Amino acid sequence: MSDAQGAMGDLTAKVAAGEPLSSQDRDLLVATRDLLALGMLADEARRRRHGDRVTFVRVARMPCRPRQGEPSEVPPTAGEIRIDGPIEDVVQAAARIREVLALSDGQPVSAFTLGELDRWSSENGIPLGDILRQLREAGLELVAEAELDRLERSLEACEAVATSGLTIARVTMKDPPPQGVLSLFAELRSLQSALGSLRAFAPLPRTLSALAPSTGYDDVKQVALARLLVDNVPTIQVDWSLYGPKLAQVALSFGADDVDAVSPVNDAGAEGWRRSALEEIRRNVAAASLVPVERNGRFELL
Amino acid sequence: MRDTDSLMSQHLAPIVEKVEAGDRLSADAALCLYRDAPTHQLGQLADLVCRRKHQDGIVTYIVDRNVNYTNVCVAKCNFCAFYRPVGSSEGYVLGFDEIFRKIDETIELGGVQLLLQGGHNPDLPLRWFEDLFRAVKQRYPDFRLHALSPPEVIHLSRLSQLSVPEVIDRLVRAGLDSIPGGGAEILVDRVRTLLHCYGKATSDEWLDVMRHAHRAGLRTTATMMYGTVETLEERLEHLCRLRELQDETGGFTAFITWSFQPAHTERGGSEATGVEYLRTLAIARLVLDNFDNLQASWVTQGGKVGQLSLAFGANDMGSVMIEENVVRAAGAAYCMDEVEIVRNIENAGFIPMRRNMHYEILGGPVFRAREIPRVLELATARAEGDTSVPPELRQYPAKSWVGKAERQRRS
Ligand code: SF4
Repeated sequence: MSDAQGAMGDLTAKVAAGEPLSSQDRDLLVATRDLLALGMLADEARRRRHGDRVTFVRVARMPCRPRQGEPSEVPPTAGEIRIDGPIEDVVQAAARIREVLALSDGQPVSAFTLGELDRWSSENGIPLGDILRQLREAGLELVAEAELDRLERSLEACEAVATSGLTIARVTMKDPPPQGVLSLFAELRSLQSALGSLRAFAPLPRTLSALAPSTGYDDVKQVALARLLVDNVPTIQVDWSLYGPKLAQVALSFGADDVDAVSPVNDAGAEGWRRSALEEIRRNVAAASLVPVERNGRFELL
Repeated sequence: MRDTDSLMSQHLAPIVEKVEAGDRLSADAALCLYRDAPTHQLGQLADLVCRRKHQDGIVTYIVDRNVNYTNVCVAKCNFCAFYRPVGSSEGYVLGFDEIFRKIDETIELGGVQLLLQGGHNPDLPLRWFEDLFRAVKQRYPDFRLHALSPPEVIHLSRLSQLSVPEVIDRLVRAGLDSIPGGGAEILVDRVRTLLHCYGKATSDEWLDVMRHAHRAGLRTTATMMYGTVETLEERLEHLCRLRELQDETGGFTAFITWSFQPAHTERGGSEATGVEYLRTLAIARLVLDNFDNLQASWVTQGGKVGQLSLAFGANDMGSVMIEENVVRAAGAAYCMDEVEIVRNIENAGFIPMRRNMHYEILGGPVFRAREIPRVLELATARAEGDTSVPPELRQYPAKSWVGKAERQRRS
């Protein structure tokens, strides 16, 4: 057994006992080329927190400005109704939130990214807190995303969210340069130490390159490192619609405990062939020897 | 550690020791691992065995083109979305000129062979294949033909009323270089009956073609399509049968497994998941201790799980394909050109090397030696709506009633 293998082995006992990792341990994890040993550690850390349970949420997406004639129905199966920007006007956004809320059947409504709200606030000279309060009063519960690499003043912005009575549905990264990912992990860890309210982190980039997409190795390593290095955020999630069932499922064995953005409607295929999204996600989680449990945007188990 | 986990590890421990010691696994021991070993552990064992066989850190791939000469087929396997029945307006046969053009494009991308397979078309006699192979070899003497899976050979044997060894012999004389391992599905007749592929080749018949091919000096690959009606035990039976034949002949160069692709098939249902693929690949690496090479099936699993295969026992990224029709017909449309394959191999920490069908190293990536166009979408057999009938078909007698009428009309 090589020294590196031995050191990774020592880490297993630490992770299993829930002991904090030293900076040397962290360096070792980042440097390792042993993907499966890293995956095992992340899996152990995930099981310590979540056991065999994997949560998933079905998300319905609605535009902030629907085009004329666009249907404004919310699938009753959605556990989160997400309004996508761009935000152009707070009064209109608040009106849209009220409209969607009326259709939501009690499920939480999320909207926008924190970065776009913050930028809109600076461009229009309106304090971020005021915007968030107006949206909250209209019935918004969740800021849909906080893109860590797009937030200039992450702590202030996150604090403004908490003060206004809103919650961040998921912390994400839009398209961080690969060499910047670890410092974003560190930033998130200290952000959470200060806030304590962040619930979920999606460590895979939201923007995918068509010519040179991230590789399977990179993706699962990033998920595993997120689980082990950002150890104070309870949920590490992977996006079903963005990354697809195969990678999302494998990520569950590398530290992820939650699947985001499952479709609330069945995927229609050619020749009338339909695939139940609910059945697919359950089947995939079970095939990874884990137990699927549906949640909503509030992390209430359904 | 949880109690159940520790009990589990105790029961797996002697099997793990066997693998570590390089001992052969029985089907029962393999079943225990396949069923109960955690996915990472299964991967680690497969990786250990793979690295013992391939200590140079090289991961190979081939630049070749996957051409389907016809989609007309009388076998009607219920897992197949590719075939069209005799007389279908969507049925096609590629002309010799179309195949030459495909070879030219393949050579331009640094390709060295065609993987040539097709449906069991009763209107393409053995002579059509002999003429095609001869014509290819005459025009492209160094170009390889990796062609006709065992069920196609059996079909030609039935059509020509010649024995399998005779058919192989005639094809080799015409230019056949090696035989792809397609059509194996699961080599258990209970499964083959349920998949409606018992008629095209029984398990024994499939293995016999390979035996004859190996005796005739040809190298072949072996495959397994899983995820339909078979049990885990039957998958292992399949692997053990391949292992036995490999002990006997040593003629298999590589093993490739993939999951059944259900879209647009008569059978339908769902596809086995990515984790099941990685576990199946890993167990194949452990059972097939006499196979040197295991390919990753990125065409069914996508590039990401395809690349992760390299941590679960694969040492080869398969082919750049250039063209693909069969898996696409069943709904999967992944594409990896040479640049992408090489990037994935290097990203996983291996050295990419180009090979031929015999797994002889041909060199480094073509695109680093000269400029070649990027391929971002795999080509298809024919452009949509192209219903042309190749002129040379007239020279060959058809067997089906529809085929006879059609040829008579054209002549
Ligand atoms: S799998 Fe091959 S033999 Fe079976 S129906 Fe399809 S083309 Fe024909």
